[in-house]
Amino acid sequence: MALLAVENLSVGYHTRKGFLKSVQAVSFSLAEGESLGLVGESGCGKTTIGMSLMGLLPENAAVTGGKILFEGIDLLQLSKKEIRQVRWKKIAMIFQAAMNALNPVHRVGEQIAEAILAHDTEISEETAMKQVESLFQVVGIPPDRMKDYPHQYSGGMKQRAIIAMALSCNPSLIIADEPTTALDVIVQDQILNAIKDFQNKLNVSLIFISHDIAVVADVCDSIGIMFAGRLVEYGNVKDVFDAPMHPYTQSLMASYLTLDKDIAQLDSKPGETPDLVNPTPGCCFSERCAVADAACSLNTPEWVEISPTHKALCSRFK
Amino acid sequence: MTANPSTQTSNIRERPYKRFPTIERLAEGWAVYKENLIGKIGLTLLVIFALMAVCSFFPPLIDPMYHPMTGVDPLISHSTGPSWRHWLGTDFIGRDILCQLLAGARIAFMVGISAAFMSIFLGTVIGMIAGYAGKIMDTLLMRLADMIMVMPTLLVVLILSSLFGQLNIWTIVLLIALFRWPGVSRVIRAQTLSLKERPFIEAAKVTGASHFRIIFRHIMPNVLPLSLLYMTFRVTSAIIIEAALAFLGFGDPSTVSWGMMLQWVWKTGHMFQAPYWLLPPGICISLLTLSFYMLGRAMEEVLDPRLRKEVAQE
Amino acid sequence: MEVRKFVLKRFVEIFIIFFVILTVLFLLFRLAPGDPVTRMVDPTLTPEDSQHLIAQLGLDQPMGLQYLYYIKNFLTGNFGNSFHYGETVSSIIWSRLPNTIILFTTSILLSAFVGVFLGKIASWKKGTKTDTWMTLGALVCHTLFLPWLAMLMIWIFGFKIGWFPLNGMISPEIWMDPSSGVWLKILDVLHHMVLPLATLFSIHFGSYLLLMRSSMLDTLKEDYILTARAKGLEEKTIRNKHAAPNAALPVVTSVGISLAFSLSGGALTETVFSWPGIGRELVFAVSNSDYPLAQGSFLLIAIVVLMANLVVDVLYAYLDPRIKY
Repeated sequence: MALLAVENLSVGYHTRKGFLKSVQAVSFSLAEGESLGLVGESGCGKTTIGMSLMGLLPENAAVTGGKILFEGIDLLQLSKKEIRQVRWKKIAMIFQAAMNALNPVHRVGEQIAEAILAHDTEISEETAMKQVESLFQVVGIPPDRMKDYPHQYSGGMKQRAIIAMALSCNPSLIIADEPTTALDVIVQDQILNAIKDFQNKLNVSLIFISHDIAVVADVCDSIGIMFAGRLVEYGNVKDVFDAPMHPYTQSLMASYLTLDKDIAQLDSKPGETPDLVNPTPGCCFSERCAVADAACSLNTPEWVEISPTHKALCSRFK
Repeated sequence: MTANPSTQTSNIRERPYKRFPTIERLAEGWAVYKENLIGKIGLTLLVIFALMAVCSFFPPLIDPMYHPMTGVDPLISHSTGPSWRHWLGTDFIGRDILCQLLAGARIAFMVGISAAFMSIFLGTVIGMIAGYAGKIMDTLLMRLADMIMVMPTLLVVLILSSLFGQLNIWTIVLLIALFRWPGVSRVIRAQTLSLKERPFIEAAKVTGASHFRIIFRHIMPNVLPLSLLYMTFRVTSAIIIEAALAFLGFGDPSTVSWGMMLQWVWKTGHMFQAPYWLLPPGICISLLTLSFYMLGRAMEEVLDPRLRKEVAQE
Repeated sequence: MEVRKFVLKRFVEIFIIFFVILTVLFLLFRLAPGDPVTRMVDPTLTPEDSQHLIAQLGLDQPMGLQYLYYIKNFLTGNFGNSFHYGETVSSIIWSRLPNTIILFTTSILLSAFVGVFLGKIASWKKGTKTDTWMTLGALVCHTLFLPWLAMLMIWIFGFKIGWFPLNGMISPEIWMDPSSGVWLKILDVLHHMVLPLATLFSIHFGSYLLLMRSSMLDTLKEDYILTARAKGLEEKTIRNKHAAPNAALPVVTSVGISLAFSLSGGALTETVFSWPGIGRELVFAVSNSDYPLAQGSFLLIAIVVLMANLVVDVLYAYLDPRIKY
């Protein structure tokens, strides 16, 4: 049984301009130890999916359909208390370090120990701090920095601390939301290696959310491309990169230069960000698609299976 | 900003004032303001007080005994309770309390608004100069502001009045203004600092505008809404300070303010016996302060940059 | 920046400010209309005593030397003699200082703690009736006119109900009686303190409540609160341990800013309640044209304000780790 199975998840936000359909009918699954990358531009809904998995959606959000089956249980049906127990112990999150993810008035070591103590009532404070020490070693922070405050850490160190915090309760699934976006390239590399490292060692499942397709390719086994709240292409990283099927995926790839392959340059039509309150009928990408025809803006596309490990949502590739 | 045809909802009304951005913004602001209950209560109260102030001119015209300072009722020469002749009663020498109350409203508005206006003017100019000029000028001005802000205004005015003798109402207004500008200047300075880096200021410099012109023509319009907001809070403190001064006996003896009325109640020992005299002035001071405060808070919602997009006039 | 360096820096700044105030007062005194001599020297003194005093204060010297005399006198604690009381100004003001400190400090601490506590609760229950009532209540109380509120308090609780004394800080009978124990005396002072404290509290707690409330609402939007929630912590823990300490910081700053206002309020309260403090002394001195006493009181009040500011700054530096380390 898959560790995580998301079925037809739809989430929206109530705003002053109307109901914003942020995620529409997204389905994917994740096995133990597998890593999935969710890629898309800002506003495509990938962060919302992450938040839904954690049960951290804001008050004006509403899940309009679907299930999130984690270890067989639908997370959407759980009570607040039950979700709190799942959080961090089973599913943890790595935030962006640029975000103020660490509380400025508490010491870093204490904040991580807090997570451990919250989920294990029998453990003592000293034991918890010892665990923090070993976590620091795993992520590569000198243990004598445990007593420091967040503002004394560099960006890379903060990110490592956040990773350590995520690992603290030995979760089965970690959601990493743009963990390297705010860092410079060298530190980015280090962090990515650290993530790959712990993922292998601890056999943790990983969902890596990013707008940077190159980074995802480096770390993940599978990849899902999102646009305007929908999953438009999904499959094995190698398959998708060798032969991107969906026009959006192709344009994403085209924006990166590679050394070994010629990628055909596709012209895409300039367009605005998609309207999520009143989505256009038909395919969500049709307005910007270079190969769209008249039917594309009228009919919703269906999934086309290119191989058992690769599918795309496009009616032009039957 | 091109709008998707399908999203042009009916929320965006037809804007008849397209050519007058200021009026358009005022209209928008009013729409937001109207929704705020606190603002509405505040505004209603203010209108009532304004009416009181206006009405204060009438009673003496009806009968000279209703004059707040000099009006003496031939029949009454001590404090009496409410009656048909005197709706709120009379004070210790037989003057009508209601008329004093109305006159007090007039004084309160006058003092409050002039002192606030002056302190805002000072604070805005100084804040803009400090923010724009930077370095030494900035440090100097802000240090000055710090020093003034540390001192309790009331007590400073007290000691000054000991040196200069009895103060008249306009001196009091001036003194209040002189000691209340620092708060405003800090905020204005911060705003100026952030505006200074905007491209349109660069553009103005490049086209050769003098510093003076830049400050007054470009920065000031963007800083003005904040100034006006703070004016409402300054009015409240001005009213309170004047009232406190009058209460302590250092007000202008030729003006009847609510604080003065309270002083008379206190000093003549009528505190326990004359609730009709004790209560009205205090209620008025508090309510007027409250209404200005409510106005200010409602305006904050209208003007808060977090809620509205900042549109700089370029 | 180390705390010690910070404190030193602030101390120097405050010292400079005080010096400026001292100098300005000196100049105003000399430049104000009227004869400076009559201001400083009690007209009822004999000519010899007057001459002696004039020499001591340096009033017959040129301006520059006068200034030096002025500073010297200040440093030696010589403020001259009060016209009204006939005693030295310093003995009067120093005896009044503790009374003001007791009232002032207690009222600020009480208002701050209660206001912050209630503000925290109001922010949790945002939008509910509790919140609306609290906010409205805070707003209304904050705008009440202090002397008037004081008079109402005396009238209702002192006169009509008779629970509390009408004025003053002590009951002479108790303090004159040699058999009264220490505890009785303390209780007596507390008994007298209730109404003035209640007045000051009512006026000031509102602003702390409103500030803490909006500070909490802002803090709850921060990213580290999301982290805390993601960690699976209870809402109560998140609010009290993660949000409140951060939200309280701006409130500490505002205590510093409102100290001047609090002190003015303190002076008014002392006057109405006849509480024998420095504020009341200043008011009386000015009313009686007792200039030496007025000057002395004012300077002492200035010192109190500046010291209080320093205390608040140090407290803030201590509480915010971003400054401490």
